Amino acid sequence: MNVIKITVAALLMASLASAASFNTQAEKDRKALIAYMEKKFSDPAKNKGSFFPYSTNEELSKRFTKGIKRDAFRLGSYAYDKGGKSQYDEVMEMPPFEDNIDAGKALYEKKFANGKTFKSCFPDPAIAGEYPKFDDKKGTVVTLTLAINECLKANGEKPWKMKKGKMADLEAYFASASTEAGKKVHIVIQSEAAAQAYEAGKKAYYSQRGYLKLSCATCHVQGTGKRVRNEYMSPLLGHTTHFPVYRLKWQGLGTLERRIEGCNKDEGEKPHKPGSPWMSNVLYFMAYMSNEMPVDGPAIRK
Amino acid sequence: MKTYTLTSIILSVGLGLSSLSAATLADAANIDVAKVCDVKANGIEGVLKTAAEYNALAKKLGVEFKRKGVTTSQYITDTEAAVKAKAKEVTLKYTKKGKVKKHTFATTYAAWRACHFAVRAVQQVNEAETTWRLAVPGDGFKF
Repeated sequence: MNVIKITVAALLMASLASAASFNTQAEKDRKALIAYMEKKFSDPAKNKGSFFPYSTNEELSKRFTKGIKRDAFRLGSYAYDKGGKSQYDEVMEMPPFEDNIDAGKALYEKKFANGKTFKSCFPDPAIAGEYPKFDDKKGTVVTLTLAINECLKANGEKPWKMKKGKMADLEAYFASASTEAGKKVHIVIQSEAAAQAYEAGKKAYYSQRGYLKLSCATCHVQGTGKRVRNEYMSPLLGHTTHFPVYRLKWQGLGTLERRIEGCNKDEGEKPHKPGSPWMSNVLYFMAYMSNEMPVDGPAIRK
Repeated sequence: MKTYTLTSIILSVGLGLSSLSAATLADAANIDVAKVCDVKANGIEGVLKTAAEYNALAKKLGVEFKRKGVTTSQYITDTEAAVKAKAKEVTLKYTKKGKVKKHTFATTYAAWRACHFAVRAVQQVNEAETTWRLAVPGDGFKF
């Protein structure tokens, strides 16, 4: 009997050890990104030479917040842009997405033609921090957007468009429920195939593309905090924590997929479609970088 | 002598076939974009042919360029149509926020741009193979 117990325990330990090993590289990347962001914003004025060569002394010393720690980056550029943060706080007193959350809740509870609801797929709505997931059976990344559409199809309903409208409303409800429940981002890399999808997403994120030859990292890693016209660029760290967002530019709510499409356009390339392997792998990588950070959505951005 | 002739024939046929086949990543790494996209040197049809070959690969790799609402594919097809019609200018139409907008270029310029965009999109894939890690904090990017 003891032999069986020892064998089971050994197998369990081995499986845990191997599960942990699949995210070894991702953990190194995540910790290095946190170290980079925290160092960069420890004292922007003091770090002008190393991180902000084109910024003015005035903006670095007066307009930037110093000593920012990991969790604060969920606010995006408002973590360090004092002016932007005060505008953000004002708007958040009466956020323009309240109706979207209500609409999302109604969609969550609305019965499908077969009498079931979204609850049959997502019993707990506080799941925004758990996606994307890697589905080992399918061998692909499943974003929250794709999971919602899979639920619809499984219940005989038509899938929704993936960038705004009902999709953004339901995701706003999920994000709001997750924020209220104090949930944190919890992305799992549980297999070799999942680790490969993460690596593919990372490579895509850091590869220069488009006629402007920019990578996502040009703006959101090395470019974080640098000014383009009158706006400061936001950090990769914490990027996925607050979606969907209400953008003033859109005058409405949009999903992460919608925002990434916009970035593709800004880089000068034909945008990757929501639900494509490229998009899903990139979102998997991005979300992993925000692991352990509080979910803070929906939010508002310019 | 016979061996030499046979080898020459095989090589000639091989080279001939390779010039007809689709562009590859390896081809792109070794070409001079300024030379292959030079309209005066290669003729407008030749430049558009190069554009079409490399853009097909760029699309396959998911790296097609799009500038101000116009994809490389549209540059190629609209410019080809302008060449057929012997037009000196090509007007590229696109929609932005539901409204139809347009850019007008000299046909030779549009052909040059189509070729340049198509080849560079593929060359950048090669370049990224050696540069992407240099931007990763904790990997190639030191801070």
